[in-house]
Amino acid sequence: MVVILRDLFRYSAEFRIGAVLVGLVLLLSALAGLSPYSPQSVYVVPPDAPPSLTYWFGTTSRGQDVFWQVSFAIRNTLLFGCTVALVSRLLALVIGLVSGYKGGWIDRALMSLNDTVIVIPLLPILVLFFFVMRDRMSWLMLALLMGGFGWAYDARLIRSVVMTLRTREFTQTCLFSGMRTQEILLQEHLPYVMPVLVSTTLNNMVWSIGLEVTLSVLGFTDINTPTIGGMIYWANQHAAMVAGIWWWIAFPTIAIIMTFTGLYLIGVAANQYIDPRSQLRGVGGTP
Amino acid sequence: MNGYLAYVGRRLGQFLLVVFIGINVAYVITHASPIDPVEQSISAVTSYGNTAPAAIDEMRTSLRELYGLSGTAFEQYVLFWNRIMRADFGPSMSAFPTPVATLVGRALPWTLGLLTVSIVVAWGLGNLLGGLAGYYQNNRGLKLMGVIAMAVHPMPYYVLALLLLILFGFVWPVLPINGGSAMNLPPTLTVEFIVSVLQHAILPALSLILIGIGSWFLGMRSLVSNIVNEDYVIYAELAGVRPWRVLSSYVMRNALVPQMTGLAMSLGGIFNGAVITEKVFGYPGLGSLLVDAVYAGDYGLVLGVTTISIIGVSIGVLAIDLLYPLLDPRVKVS
Amino acid sequence: MHARSEPARAVENAEPMLSVRDLRVHYRSSRFGIERDVKAVDDVSFAVRRREIYGLAGESSAGKTTLTKSIAGAVRPPMVFVGGSVDFAFLSGYGGLHRAPPAEVARIRWRHLAYIMQSSMSLLNPVRQLRSTFIDFAYPHIGGSRSQFEQEVVAHLARVQLDPSVLAAYPHQLSGGMRQRAILALATICRPDLLIADEPTSALDVLVQREVLGMIRGIQRETGSSVLLVSHDMGVHALATDRLGIMYAGRLVEEGATPEIFRSPLHPYTRHLISSLPRIGDDAPHEGLESAPPNLADPPSGCRFHPRCPLAREACRRQVPPMQEAAPGRRVACFALETGQRDE
Repeated sequence: MVVILRDLFRYSAEFRIGAVLVGLVLLLSALAGLSPYSPQSVYVVPPDAPPSLTYWFGTTSRGQDVFWQVSFAIRNTLLFGCTVALVSRLLALVIGLVSGYKGGWIDRALMSLNDTVIVIPLLPILVLFFFVMRDRMSWLMLALLMGGFGWAYDARLIRSVVMTLRTREFTQTCLFSGMRTQEILLQEHLPYVMPVLVSTTLNNMVWSIGLEVTLSVLGFTDINTPTIGGMIYWANQHAAMVAGIWWWIAFPTIAIIMTFTGLYLIGVAANQYIDPRSQLRGVGGTP
Repeated sequence: MNGYLAYVGRRLGQFLLVVFIGINVAYVITHASPIDPVEQSISAVTSYGNTAPAAIDEMRTSLRELYGLSGTAFEQYVLFWNRIMRADFGPSMSAFPTPVATLVGRALPWTLGLLTVSIVVAWGLGNLLGGLAGYYQNNRGLKLMGVIAMAVHPMPYYVLALLLLILFGFVWPVLPINGGSAMNLPPTLTVEFIVSVLQHAILPALSLILIGIGSWFLGMRSLVSNIVNEDYVIYAELAGVRPWRVLSSYVMRNALVPQMTGLAMSLGGIFNGAVITEKVFGYPGLGSLLVDAVYAGDYGLVLGVTTISIIGVSIGVLAIDLLYPLLDPRVKVS
Repeated sequence: MHARSEPARAVENAEPMLSVRDLRVHYRSSRFGIERDVKAVDDVSFAVRRREIYGLAGESSAGKTTLTKSIAGAVRPPMVFVGGSVDFAFLSGYGGLHRAPPAEVARIRWRHLAYIMQSSMSLLNPVRQLRSTFIDFAYPHIGGSRSQFEQEVVAHLARVQLDPSVLAAYPHQLSGGMRQRAILALATICRPDLLIADEPTSALDVLVQREVLGMIRGIQRETGSSVLLVSHDMGVHALATDRLGIMYAGRLVEEGATPEIFRSPLHPYTRHLISSLPRIGDDAPHEGLESAPPNLADPPSGCRFHPRCPLAREACRRQVPPMQEAAPGRRVACFALETGQRDE
């Protein structure tokens, strides 16, 4: 594993840039634990102060230190993205494995469901969900809901991998030796599926964080927990752009752009790495 | 031809399934909510003064009927579907007594226009440039485009819209940043009106297009760089088929097939982007309508817009699905 | 098998159709810190005469495909043309097709030199009808009106027993045999002087194989062209070729007239290939070769066959045996034979 990371770092410009960006973001989010202020408290510092040596990122109109706010915000946003990624990976894995391996009507039914989930525009549904739940909506609920919709694309990928594996000889050998379906899926097929899972996780995180930011900016989530979108929402509520308090919007925006670009670049590098390696091994006789 | 009809039948079936499930999901969410919209409306109305209890009861009954919330759960469900079939979503609370259907009808053309233009330009141009970039891999201009695309594409729609807003609203105010058309022009088909509409559409469309182009460009480029190693492309080149012919007939034609599938799958996401973009620029489409409806607590309108969005996106996907076999003769039409 | 009809006889003393000299082609790649230099074709020299079918045999990854690709000018990274030259009767002086100016290449492609790539299953554009491919490949060379061209195509398809209706078909609608015949028709419609066919029958069942090989021979006889036929299947060579070259690990180890090679193979590797062909009534146990096929990124020193050769001696490890004429029209690269020691 370490070797892989080291190789990636040395030879892929995309990975280097991506890793630096993500590293900075992670650092910022880790610092949240050191914050002298509680994330929900307001008016703890003089409001509307521009960036200076005391307040590195300035302060908001609500009297919060932008630096510490961004730190909490990015941490929450990342945690959210990870939760959604986890839930949807599990679903994608289960559905993809079962569908690809079993085939037949189970496959058709699951893929029909899959196509349905891909097509339905998620934002209106989430908005509707927020509308009816209002203050009772928790982050966990939102994460579960998004995870429940985010598995479709990857389930298809996993399914196609499993379908090719099913016809390979070693699967027949397993069957003849009496292994049960679950055992075959988990022990034999899973290692082939892992690379797909890893590369799609990053995309999935970008997607879920993007959706969360969109919802929060509109104020459709629990805006008292600081998140990047939430910060921008409050900034808009206080007409920060017009009042010239640009730092309130700029820093969270920069943080989220760094996050997205970093994750995306790492994903690109991971894909490059997964592909040509296997091609390389095929060149020139027996290894 | 028979095969194609069977294919159409299957796609149509899938379409109906999606719409049915989607709308049911919306229904379940609203009706499983712990909040009673009727009580909410009543408390909003009665909090300002003294209302006779009898009047409150009457209000409750009529509101329940308006919202379709009277009767048993089953009766409500049937009534709900009945109304949807007739495109009756009830009156809008925030714009009482205008029916929701009217409001949606007014907003729909704006969103439709914005989305169609943005998608056509982003997908078309993005694929064209991406294809060229994948084929002519040493061209510096195209390589530069690739870097820009990589930088822009992961940006969330909101951020880009905001940047454009700041750029053209405050720094260089040459384009209108709010509304669908100039406020003093009546919505008739005069040249002035059309020009105004186009002017107002530039920023929202640009916002959607820039991000869209980035992702189609990158996808197409990577697709094409794989396709150029396919046996049939190499073979055509070896046979001396001219480069532009290889590019168009062997490379692009084959790359467009998965890109079409990709378009169908991303329609939902593009719609999401349109919602936020409309809100930022105050563009009077479904997105703005939805957001404002939530702010105003207008239950009927929210449900109406959600339903229309689901139906709309599904129709878009269906249209693409039906065009698909024209591009790819290998589609199993059995 | 070799009927004495005039057009088929190889013209021995005229300038050869194709002459390959000291060809070296490697695969070089450097990715994520791993460098590889695979010597796929290492110092190969041979010539294909006019009006003959020359076969190239050897196991997979012996370098046959790399050889045909470099002859046909399909040199692209990671493949690197390291040294030597490839000259044709219709194009010489450049040392290789990929070095010739585009105008020259366009002139000879398909009209003088045609190439059937390996893996015929995916050589045709999947989203276009066959007709479109014929127009793309052949029409620029044949010209005339479209309808005239189509008539000519239909006539040519008849030679490979394909119905005109295949022109409107898509590749996936054709069976393997039909696709292979279509590709054969596509490659020969302009009557090229040299046809290079790389494994033209490997995905086909035995009966269809015979048919296609018969068609290749028939067309060759009719047009008086030369054919370079590559196959790992010795049976194919027995059926269709006039002369045969045996490749092993990127080098040519034996060459001669096909019937003679089958009757008395000289090189130990050739002998193994011939003896491993199943014969009805043959009950003798067959032995496989020792150890594994060579790793071309790090090949054995000297003669590349020496780790598996029953006749290997000290010289074989130290030096590369040169291709020498062991008999008129026969060349072999083996030290064991030079000193006159034979196993018979």
